[in-house]
Amino acid sequence: MKGITKWRTYGILGVLLLLLFLVPQVVSNIYYLHIINLGGIYTLITIGLNLLSGYTGQVSMGQAGYFAVGTYVSSLLMMNLKFPFWAALLVAVVAAAICGLIIGIPAMKLSGPYLVLATVGFGEIVRLVLLNWTPVTKGAAGLTGIPLPEFMGMRISSEKDFFYLIFIVLLLGTYVAQRLAKSKIGRTFTAIREDELAAEAMGVPVNLYKISAFVISAVYAGVAGALFGSFAGVASPDNFTFDESVAFLSMSVIGGNRSIVGAVIGAFVLTFLSEALRVFQALRLVIYGGILIFTVIYMPKGLYGLVEQGQNWFSRQFLAGKKDYSS
Amino acid sequence: MQYFLNGLPIGAIYALVALSYSLIYAASGVLNWSQGDMVMLGAYLGFTLFQLLNLGFTPALFISMAFVACVGVLVQYFILRPLRERKAPPINVVIATLGVAIITRNIALVIWGPDAQIFSSPVSAKPITLGALSITPQDILIVTVGIGLMLVLQYFLKKTREGKALRAVAQDRYGAILMGIDTQRSDGVAFAASAALGAAAGILVAPIFFVTFNMGAGIGLKGFVAAVIGGLGYIPGAIAGGFFLGIVEAIAGGKISSGYRDAITFALLILVLWLKPSGLFLRKTRQKV
Repeated sequence: MKGITKWRTYGILGVLLLLLFLVPQVVSNIYYLHIINLGGIYTLITIGLNLLSGYTGQVSMGQAGYFAVGTYVSSLLMMNLKFPFWAALLVAVVAAAICGLIIGIPAMKLSGPYLVLATVGFGEIVRLVLLNWTPVTKGAAGLTGIPLPEFMGMRISSEKDFFYLIFIVLLLGTYVAQRLAKSKIGRTFTAIREDELAAEAMGVPVNLYKISAFVISAVYAGVAGALFGSFAGVASPDNFTFDESVAFLSMSVIGGNRSIVGAVIGAFVLTFLSEALRVFQALRLVIYGGILIFTVIYMPKGLYGLVEQGQNWFSRQFLAGKKDYSS
Repeated sequence: MQYFLNGLPIGAIYALVALSYSLIYAASGVLNWSQGDMVMLGAYLGFTLFQLLNLGFTPALFISMAFVACVGVLVQYFILRPLRERKAPPINVVIATLGVAIITRNIALVIWGPDAQIFSSPVSAKPITLGALSITPQDILIVTVGIGLMLVLQYFLKKTREGKALRAVAQDRYGAILMGIDTQRSDGVAFAASAALGAAAGILVAPIFFVTFNMGAGIGLKGFVAAVIGGLGYIPGAIAGGFFLGIVEAIAGGKISSGYRDAITFALLILVLWLKPSGLFLRKTRQKV
């Protein structure tokens, strides 16, 4: 039974990969592909945020800060010091991780609204530094002409190229997060969320894990930032406001913040939704806000909760009596 | 000393907004992110009544406070109540109130348009000089009305039936239910009072800044910072935190750099949180194994 389940999982994964590979072949509209790519970048941030706030229970409303650090560090290295994309990405991720460490240290003592505000403060500090450190960051005007990534002589330039780049990184990121969530580290994160004192009493180095969660989420946002810089070609402090952090947190909660798949669902659904609602023009964000409220009231586990319900219903209908106790 | 005086009026505004956060947090344990947009709504209503309909300043102040209080009650009844009944996790409540903020902001954008409106002051903005110091009648008005409202709130909490019920719920929600207090009602009262305080802050701040549809985000955040510096849920702390933040900002903006003023504020906030996680004016020890 276990073997069959395993092969079935591989089969589903294979089909999904094939479908994913075909997306840019089928979606010919550049605008749609652009939105899909943007969704992919936001998914990376949301995955990191789920590990931080869904698993470890540390809510962050400052993810735009790490995202900004990723974008500006990699873009500036490529523009001013002619770094190749991959090296710039690596340095950007290290920079974002250091920021995660810096904010993780005061954050380990905090919880609830106090923690939220500390992360908001971090995000605002980053934005204000970008806005005011004009000699380096060009202030409110922002960076323009951010170089395209080049990889073994291949230049990533079209939306289609970016799709493959972003989705390879995203698949890797999802895989790592999924493994992490199912490992001892993921279980420790959950233990800390459920009862910090009990975890500490069991000998878990709670502070170390809490800081690690911050660093991991910062790494995800940093990677996303480096991709975003080259993908968008321009970046200004307006791309990294408090509202962006709020959007990332909404993606995490709407998708379901206690699973990695939830992050993927939430990020894509809200990115698409926010574009689709453009037909309502001025009322677009009013409807968006209404949908947020409706979802958190009536689907407290997010959209992933619906998926789980669907799965349960499916197994009740078709696998009744054949319950798989082996997994 | 001049910086101290400059910080007072904005400090009074921050204190009012901080109070509105603290009141809701104390009474119902909710972090209400739409508080800043109640400030914006108050400012716009005040602008409409005072500037466009030529009502006096005082009626404009009270009518918009009453109207925004109703909005607060609606938010509590239609959004917070179902969340509480479903025992939603705090993060869902946060997202719901952020949703309210987004809706309020964009409805204001539809009604009043994207342009900044100028709210001309009911009193002169010409500074009065006292030796080396100067202060405008405008600033005096803000500080007196602000302090007046704080006193009214204090009276309401200490002397009236509703206020006492609210404090009882804040101390022990379950105990209050057992004593026959209608917690639903006290939540509604807390939301109404908070929204009204926010609206008052909006009208008072309107002549200093322009009235815009997105003014709420900045003021709301600063008010929240002030509430946390003072100890969230602690009423005297919110007032002290508001004035403290106003004065610190005036000094940081005047002495160091106006561009980095807010960054300095937030850095200070993180430092305060790191050293005294439950605020400057509240004593609370951390649980340890």
